[in-house]
Amino acid sequence: LGHGSGGILTHKLLEAGVFDLLRNPLLDTHHDGAMLTFGGPVAFTTDSYVITPVFFPGGNIGELAVNGTVNDLAMCGAIPRYLSLSFILEEGLTMTEFWQVLVSIKEAAERAGVQVVTGDTKVVERGKGDKLFINTSGLGEVHPRAAISSRRVQPGDKIIVSGPVATHGIAIMSVREGLAFDTTLESDTAPLNHTVRALLDEFGSGIHLLRDPTRGGVATVLNEIARDTKTGVDIRQAAIPVLDEVMGACELLGLDPLYVANEGVFLALVAAEVADRFVGMLQSLPYGESAAIIGEVVAAHPGQVVLTSRIGGRRVVNMLVGEQLPRIC
Amino acid sequence: MTWHLHLTGLVQGVGFRPFVWQLVQAMQLRGTVCNGVDGVHIYVNADRDTAERFRHLLREKAPPLAQIDTIRMETAEPTDFADFRIIESDVQGQPNLLLPPDIALCATCRTELTEPANRRFGYAFTTCTHCGPRYSILQKLPYDRPATTMAPFGMCADCRTEYYNPADRRFFAQTNSCPACPVEFRLFGADGTAIDARQEMQVDVCLTALRQGSIVAVKGIGGYLLLCDATNADTVETLRERKHRPAKPLAVLYPDRATLEGDCHVRADEWDLLTGVAAPIVLLRRHEQPASGIAVQQLAPGLDHIGAMLPYAPLLALLAEGFSGPLVATSGNRSGFPICYTNEQALTQLTTVADYILTHNRAIAVPQDDSVMWLTPVFRQPVMLRRSRGYAPTYIPALPEGSGANTLALGASLKSTFAWQLRGNTYVSQYLGDLESFDTQEQFRQTLTHFRTLFNATPTLLLADAHEGYFSTQLARELSATWNIPLRLVQHHEAHLAAVLAEHDLLNQPQPVLGILWDGTGYGTDGQVWGGEFIAYKANTDEPFTRMAHFAYFDALLGDKMPREPRLSALSLVHEHPAAESLLRNRFTAVEWAFYQKLLPQNRLKTSSVGRLFDAVASLLGLTDQVSYEGEAALLLEEHATRFVEQNGFTTLRSYLPRPWFGTNVPTQHIAAGVLADRLANVPVGQIAATFHYTLVEVVAAVARQTGHTRLAFSGGVFQNALLVDWLRHRFGHTHTLFFHRQLSPGDECIALGQLAHVTCTQLL
Ligand SMILES: [Fe+3]
Ligand SMILES: [Mg+2]
Ligand SMILES: [Zn+2]
Ligand SMILES: [Zn+2]
Repeated sequence: LGHGSGGILTHKLLEAGVFDLLRNPLLDTHHDGAMLTFGGPVAFTTDSYVITPVFFPGGNIGELAVNGTVNDLAMCGAIPRYLSLSFILEEGLTMTEFWQVLVSIKEAAERAGVQVVTGDTKVVERGKGDKLFINTSGLGEVHPRAAISSRRVQPGDKIIVSGPVATHGIAIMSVREGLAFDTTLESDTAPLNHTVRALLDEFGSGIHLLRDPTRGGVATVLNEIARDTKTGVDIRQAAIPVLDEVMGACELLGLDPLYVANEGVFLALVAAEVADRFVGMLQSLPYGESAAIIGEVVAAHPGQVVLTSRIGGRRVVNMLVGEQLPRIC
Repeated sequence: MTWHLHLTGLVQGVGFRPFVWQLVQAMQLRGTVCNGVDGVHIYVNADRDTAERFRHLLREKAPPLAQIDTIRMETAEPTDFADFRIIESDVQGQPNLLLPPDIALCATCRTELTEPANRRFGYAFTTCTHCGPRYSILQKLPYDRPATTMAPFGMCADCRTEYYNPADRRFFAQTNSCPACPVEFRLFGADGTAIDARQEMQVDVCLTALRQGSIVAVKGIGGYLLLCDATNADTVETLRERKHRPAKPLAVLYPDRATLEGDCHVRADEWDLLTGVAAPIVLLRRHEQPASGIAVQQLAPGLDHIGAMLPYAPLLALLAEGFSGPLVATSGNRSGFPICYTNEQALTQLTTVADYILTHNRAIAVPQDDSVMWLTPVFRQPVMLRRSRGYAPTYIPALPEGSGANTLALGASLKSTFAWQLRGNTYVSQYLGDLESFDTQEQFRQTLTHFRTLFNATPTLLLADAHEGYFSTQLARELSATWNIPLRLVQHHEAHLAAVLAEHDLLNQPQPVLGILWDGTGYGTDGQVWGGEFIAYKANTDEPFTRMAHFAYFDALLGDKMPREPRLSALSLVHEHPAAESLLRNRFTAVEWAFYQKLLPQNRLKTSSVGRLFDAVASLLGLTDQVSYEGEAALLLEEHATRFVEQNGFTTLRSYLPRPWFGTNVPTQHIAAGVLADRLANVPVGQIAATFHYTLVEVVAAVARQTGHTRLAFSGGVFQNALLVDWLRHRFGHTHTLFFHRQLSPGDECIALGQLAHVTCTQLL
């Protein structure tokens, strides 16, 4: 920052800029922390955002940091209200870049309907960071009808994915690896809270579990669910939405889309009776057009995720073990 | 005096009690014989000399399929027997038996099928004491009808008479039945509805369907087989589409020798195998123009060999003879599934593949595929390609026993088997398939459970491969926790070597042996993907295994994508060569090319795999860039090289090794570059393929010379290559002692036994 970016910017000026842009009554109090009032159960989450490149097709790290935390709250069945925001900036980041990130944070917060109420900024020497790291924490009020818990998952539950998988991870990798596809893939980063809230309004406790399959992808989350609930998970390859370009890139990279990260997609485990209506409604909501039932929870093979391939064979979708070590002899 | 003789080994299900009965009649002894869970028990009244002679003759004259391990003889409580009887089996005690493999239809039973006057004329389930299913119907021990899936069937009066008549071929035949007390068919259409036809008509319905080009699933010995007219290209193509099996060769069932010889070269040793008690599929060189008109390109695309079999079960004999032409006979499963063996599986899974499903009501207890073998063209070395029906689960002789070992080894992954050393015996399971498939994993677990039930045992030590991504290794971890027993991991290629050493009883011999262990993939102790290894073995030393040399590392790209796409192996091996781009560029899209160019310099995982080197050469020669079954590229390359060698003999070609060459890093890239240069110089493909094989022989020569070994042992999937085996024997036959696998396949099926052997030799210290 500062150096080589035209204009010398002090730390104080920087913070003033942040306050100015994101201003709201709570932030304006300039206390060491925000004082908040809640009437009922609260969900609280935190996450740090580290991504290369900081700017990618379809978004940047700022938007990601807001959406990510908003989504984590939504996955708890909560209505996101307040965020904290902490930056670790590496010397050399240009003011223009930083400003761009800030603007998209502001826009993302507005889209999601949350307020940034406290924050911090630190600058580290060149080489001690990767341009820009962001930490966000979030608070939200739990939806009165929500009853989200892995303990409520049971055989028969349907597994629903809200949109095409692997898009975010492949978009990032395409930039990073310089893959020149005909069309540019864009990250799917999006705030899912409004969509989830509408579903909670309608289906309430019919929704047993919500998860956003970010790092490690759908495969990792489903494995965690199978492990935690001691049930089996059956999914059908043919039912899982994947964009054609994403599928092509996965083949090229030797990757299974089930393990690739998502940012604007969630998995819902819902009671079998409401599953069809749930998908129908989800398809009419933002970010849910391609929603599909991709499988179900079963009593067989507890702890294991089993995928039925397009041609009918079944294979176990394991937790990813390290490198891509070949098994075929 | 009364003597008690206790015989162990393969002594049940092979006509042993009838044999004892005949023998005592000749010797005029009195007493009893019965099966126990630990072998055969005989009590006889005799003086010491007679008893000794009896013991001697038991060994001497034992039925051909029997394998007597030990005969313990001691005096027993004096009993005055009035006659000699076969008495009821003793089901008490600790099971300790070799399980009889399934035995192919014998010549006498087959003849009876065709004699209209015989009461078993056309009866699809005829057997005798010398033939019929054994392991596949075994549910308990000892081997007796009530312990098999024949239990629900009662014998009619005629069968009973045969069963109790010492002069009859069916004297004590546990699988005996006839049209009066039959195993019964049920025929179903593709929609799963039963087709109403009289018992004796059902085979005819199937024959008509086959002639009309339909696909018929038939319940055989180890599971369902899919049959169709092998001369009808459209039908075979349909079968491939429905099975999702684009190119992997399909086996062919021949009715008789004449038809078979019209299509293939059949030599005496091959005929003996085909008609022997195991009756495997044997890969035979086909004629340029097969007389029967089989659809060569649909059956085995690009290959000169046909996997041929003869009817090893009466039902198959009736179908093959009735059809009187070659029939495709491939395992009844959809791609990614193990072979169907229950009626329920067939009616759910095979309805999408077959037009008719012929089931029957004798259950299969243990599913097995057909075994596959071939003989090398010159030296006639048998090579096991898949060991299953007819061979499994017997392994003789047992491994040297380390202090009453009770060890279970779970093998590898793609060609899974398990091996168990228990109560002095060694068992090697049938080929259990690719553990990537969930259903194969389930079958693997079930077969294990079946063994534990049969023997009423739980192991005290578990062994598995060092590759943590293998299901077998993960299962071993799980079982180790469940049973609270230790687990030891064994390096893949050391297991390969231990397996071939065990087969030649070399684990304890002082002379050092050099293992040449070449395959596709094995997890190495340095975390890299091994597959071109030279490991020296020195018995009874602190570290019996020493990696002496290996093929120089090259990039292992993109996990399991590389073995599926030989073009990636080619790229990995020659990308630094200036001429590579001209040959390889058009095998990739622009995006792929750009990405792989970028990936190569930053790739960290390396491999020494000879399997991938074969892939690279096949790709450089334009033979294949994407394979649909394991070993496809190597097989194509071998066929091209074989044709060249047939015309030119084992000529000394100019090898692709640099001259002179020594070192412990076989110059993999240099060899690939030699292939590339010849290819660009338009040297004929066959000659390059042959030169490549010759180069591998020279690699062995060079490494053996440097390490000073004259005893060489070969294991790994690469040594399924018949040309390579012959060439090695030609080159080293007079100067070196060579050891190849005998009972087991050189591929990963041998890993489970190798793990057992590995622990045996490291424990013998
Ligand atoms: Fe291997
Ligand atoms: Mg998160
Ligand atoms: Zn017979
Ligand atoms: Zn009968």
